[in-house]
Amino acid sequence: MTEFLDHPAVQAAVAPLLVALIAAIALARTRFAWLAILAGYATMVALSTGFSFSPLTVARKTVLLGLAMPLVGVVADLLPRPTRATARTLALAAAALSVWVFLSVLKQRDAWDAIATGGGIASFVAALVAMVLRLRHDGLRGGAAGLGLGLATGIAGVLSASIGYLIAGVAIAASAGALLLMQVVLSRKLAPGFTGTLPMGVLTALFASGTLLLAELRWYVLPLLLLVPAAASMPVPERAPWIVRAAILAAYALVAAAIPILAAWYAAHGSLS
Amino acid sequence: MLRRCIVLLLAAVPVAATAAPDSYTIDPFHTFPNFTVDHLGVSTLHGRFNKSSGKFSLDRAAKSASLELVVEAASVDTGDGDKGSRARSRDDHLRSADFFNAAEFPRMTFKSNSVTFNGDNPSSIDGSLTLLGVTKPVTLTVERFKCNPASANSKERCGGNATGRIKRSDFGMKTGIPAISDEITLLVEIEGLKE
Repeated sequence: MTEFLDHPAVQAAVAPLLVALIAAIALARTRFAWLAILAGYATMVALSTGFSFSPLTVARKTVLLGLAMPLVGVVADLLPRPTRATARTLALAAAALSVWVFLSVLKQRDAWDAIATGGGIASFVAALVAMVLRLRHDGLRGGAAGLGLGLATGIAGVLSASIGYLIAGVAIAASAGALLLMQVVLSRKLAPGFTGTLPMGVLTALFASGTLLLAELRWYVLPLLLLVPAAASMPVPERAPWIVRAAILAAYALVAAAIPILAAWYAAHGSLS
Repeated sequence: MLRRCIVLLLAAVPVAATAAPDSYTIDPFHTFPNFTVDHLGVSTLHGRFNKSSGKFSLDRAAKSASLELVVEAASVDTGDGDKGSRARSRDDHLRSADFFNAAEFPRMTFKSNSVTFNGDNPSSIDGSLTLLGVTKPVTLTVERFKCNPASANSKERCGGNATGRIKRSDFGMKTGIPAISDEITLLVEIEGLKE
């Protein structure tokens, strides 16, 4: 059993998918079915690195935010009237938190390099989180974006010398995939709200930024990741069956995800580096 | 005559009591922390760090010594530094956050707390290893130690080999366990030149 749970495919995909499905089924009748993202992500952390917060490294700060963001999302969803300003505020807060996450690395650089890198990462985090938050009313689009972003950051991670970010990214993809599947099976929309979109946006943005700073991802892969939530916003035939809409949106997101993955692949093989 | 002997003895005592230990600067060209790790239960992989610095002190009369070693994490070298047509080399991967996380923790340090002597030479070093921001006690066994006197073209040179074992998971380095073993064997070759 231990050998089974130690396998990266189980830690990244199988276990998060199953746990997220169970959580989604349990919470399907509530507004907070997308807490399944938290369940899937926490399962991956428990199986791969465990929960430890000292010393508070980049990876551990990321885990901390991964656990906190869904709860912040719940609070935002419970606000009497969550508005666009709420989304903008959360995106800016995520940007500020990203500087905190990577501060230990940025501090070791020259001042201008640190400012440029930190500013670039914060801008990317704000943009990606804002774009994912825009999908908060549509469960199929949110699920497709989570699937695409998780796979894009995970595969770009392993191409850039990080298995840790591969496992983390695929866990988000598996959890988002579980929610996509649930909506197809139930033929019912489960709106992600801030509860689902905030952790997906923040975590995948931090995974990509972490791979940039702590492994070998090239900077130009980051803006290409913005194509994924943009693709998940594209029109679909609204009267088509659930499974068709889910498949089309997933295809949009996966095609968009292929672009940053290809860029990471070319960078790793020297063609663009 | 007796008075002269007493005066000489009295003059010598404080000098002996306050004799400073000899200090040595690590010779980076002859100091390499090496490690071995079991790979898939099939073979033993050897690696080393190419850049290190530090100092040690030695007082054979008082049987005391100290060691401070700073190792550059990014200098890890397992003989696979050229990725060629692959996405990455093993050394690239070892430098990433999965293993030594060199961008966040560029240096590892070992500082001795106490040194045990066997005769005139140090035989084991109890110290603290700081890796990935985590500090844990580690004991190094000194397997050989020797000093060569200063010559016309070199300062006095002392050094030896020390070995130890750690569990990398104790320092939060968990990627690949158990396929890549948790237990790591350390072999540090150290040489220092007298200051």
